[in-house]
Amino acid sequence: MLANLLTRTLSGFVTLVVVLVIVFFALEALPGDACTAYLERDARDALLAACRERFGLDEPVPARFSSWAMALASGDLGTSILRDRPVGDILWPRFRNTALLAGVAAAMAVPIALVFGTLAALRQDGVFDIAASTVVLVAMTVPEFVIATVLVFIFAIWLQWAPAVVTVSAGAPVGDLIGAIALPAAVLTTTLVAHAMRVHRATVVEYLAFEFVEAARLRGLPKWRIVLFDVLPAALPPTLSVTAVSLAGVLGGVVIIERVFNYPGLGTLALQAILERDLPVLQGAVAVFAVTYVLLAITADLLTELLDPRTRRGTS
Amino acid sequence: MTYRDTLSGRPWRRAALSLFVGILLWPTDMFVGSTAQAETLRIAHPLGNGGKENVDPIHRNRFYPVTVMLYDGLLRPDEAGRPSPSLATQWESSPDLREWIFILREGVTFHDGSALDSDDVVFSLRRVLSEEIGSPLRSTLAIMAEIEALDDRTVRITLDAPNADFPTMIMHYLFRVVSSEGQDESLDAIYESGVGTGPFKLTTLDAEGTTVLEANPDYWDGAPGVPMVEVIAIPDSEARIQALLAGQLDLVRRVNPQQLALFQNRDGFEVQTFATGDWTSLVMRTDTPPFDDVRVRRALRLLVDREAIVRTVLGEAGGSVSCDTPVWPGDPYHVAQECPPDLEEARRLLAEAGYPDGLDVELHTSGLNALMVEVAQVYQAQAAEAGVRVNVRMAPSDGYWSNVWMQRPFVAAVWSQRPAAQILSEAFLSGANWNDSFWDNEEFDALLAEARATIDFEERKAVYARAQQLIWEDGGSMIAFFPNRVRAYSDTLSGVQPVHDFFLRWHEITKAE
Repeated sequence: MLANLLTRTLSGFVTLVVVLVIVFFALEALPGDACTAYLERDARDALLAACRERFGLDEPVPARFSSWAMALASGDLGTSILRDRPVGDILWPRFRNTALLAGVAAAMAVPIALVFGTLAALRQDGVFDIAASTVVLVAMTVPEFVIATVLVFIFAIWLQWAPAVVTVSAGAPVGDLIGAIALPAAVLTTTLVAHAMRVHRATVVEYLAFEFVEAARLRGLPKWRIVLFDVLPAALPPTLSVTAVSLAGVLGGVVIIERVFNYPGLGTLALQAILERDLPVLQGAVAVFAVTYVLLAITADLLTELLDPRTRRGTS
Repeated sequence: MTYRDTLSGRPWRRAALSLFVGILLWPTDMFVGSTAQAETLRIAHPLGNGGKENVDPIHRNRFYPVTVMLYDGLLRPDEAGRPSPSLATQWESSPDLREWIFILREGVTFHDGSALDSDDVVFSLRRVLSEEIGSPLRSTLAIMAEIEALDDRTVRITLDAPNADFPTMIMHYLFRVVSSEGQDESLDAIYESGVGTGPFKLTTLDAEGTTVLEANPDYWDGAPGVPMVEVIAIPDSEARIQALLAGQLDLVRRVNPQQLALFQNRDGFEVQTFATGDWTSLVMRTDTPPFDDVRVRRALRLLVDREAIVRTVLGEAGGSVSCDTPVWPGDPYHVAQECPPDLEEARRLLAEAGYPDGLDVELHTSGLNALMVEVAQVYQAQAAEAGVRVNVRMAPSDGYWSNVWMQRPFVAAVWSQRPAAQILSEAFLSGANWNDSFWDNEEFDALLAEARATIDFEERKAVYARAQQLIWEDGGSMIAFFPNRVRAYSDTLSGVQPVHDFFLRWHEITKAE
């Protein structure tokens, strides 16, 4: 168990390093740099040279790579090229906001997936099941930005129940964000529910066919009791684990959702950093995304192992 | 061990139950409506400087449009675009047009209560020339050789050469008067206090979120029509439109032609179209073959059907045709020209230049600006009719200004509105920093110098007209049009003048509840 965890952590670390190296050289391969992005039409001759010298961009690629890697190894994320602020200071509130968005979405998605997944499983192939499965399929295939636009038109523009865009800055108190988080969280929830519900329904269907359910029914226990206290708890681990994996899977979607709703999270920051060619900020944001992805994947695995009696028996 | 036993004593039951209860108790009041602020004017800004925005009006990272609300210039354009009084009420030049005297308005105070005097103006002008600040305005105003205060209300500026249009140059929207108080005479520091004489005062600066300004009740041009302004960072143009439609914004400064449809059949919004002097050009390097032959570049400009480009590219918003001059119809030095397409003459010129079967050219453009791509594509189609085969090459937006523009022989470019007196020397004078066609025409250079030294307006206009005619005959830039711009706003607003944002009088806007 512990060895397993160590292996996973190690492979996660390797993944992280590979991702960061790829991002460094990918950004390097693009034409232009932070100075041409900043100076635009003035990016010529002496002015351009002075800017590059000031931000150390005139040094050769290998030299910049090694100094960046050395700093990172000692835990220094670096300084934003044009903002003159430590990357950590810029990242932290953004990370908090994205975590808040993802957290709220997950907290809404899990119960919804449980209720609807169970109901669908109980009336397998019934009207509700077919309807729910259809909705799930649609929700899984329609891109996030389409769902987002539709929700904005219905709830922000037509009904005016929720704001269309977030107008607070990254460092605002959580209370200010919560009020504006409804629509972005709803989009993320929709995607998560779709994935989690599908798995949950399948698991419940599978468990309902087990002998212990039949035995319990023969002992005269009411069906709702069996479902609530036996089947559901057993089916919970796979659902949670899938939610964790899908949460990791929708991180890319988070970037789009944040942009559409003007949400001050890591996604909008990463986009901005690409446009500005601000390598340290982009690296920081990518690192946080990568770490999150790896952690969620490990969590999903651990959840499955810890909670599911079958896998636990298998590994011990 | 039965399955039941495995589960007993574990908290799953309670967890499952509390999850269900959780759903029921999930706060439903989360979806509350937006906070409508009846009297606040709410606009968006695109976060163009990524949160590095500062309130120094002349800095590259200036927080526009906040800076034009906080500060005033010496002069501002009147309805005809000519210089009119702002902080300066009178101005005059010496007979040789080298010395300019500006008399300041009486009784103007800064937001901190201190009085405006000539020291503030001298300080503001001198810091424009600071190398350390590196203002984009620096090269334009580098003609100022000496700046001095003659008394409390009189400033004298001595130029390094005669310039009849210095008032137009000083009217540039970037030039604003800041307070010299507490600046320790340092001309190189970024001006961060936000203290100006403008119609609004800075309350909260939050470039990445919502910046709040409040009305300056003592404003010399009358108290503003709204008590408060909020400037909200929304980088995405679609998101800005959605925010306007959802009632989170009162005005969107720029609406794309594709977005116009959203406002049709929708009550509660005004769509305002106004002319601008922005331009898109296809630029040939006149120092590089085949464009070093005037017959080639003339042919490549003669074949253009400008009316068709306006219809195809600008759509509903529209615009006006240009005959390759950067001087727009709203400029005092604009001259009406006609330039219908002449394919025969174009073919004849090409044949004369040694291309009887037409020629192949490579045109570089970029998605940096949608118009740059669209103009290139329409041009490609039109050129084909004259036997010119244009290969449109898409270059990356990243580094376009350094790697493609002023590098490749034939490229697309975009420019924002500038007065004739400025743009003709900025982009057409030989050797100028931004002379992107590398045009070197002694006659044109001489005409510019002559115009600057001509006192009489009509005479000067005639000289500028000759200079523009020369651009048409010999130049390397194809400029087809000046596009109109469209802004949209809530119909609760009134007093939004149909002029470029640079010169919008924000304090004249009022908002009904």
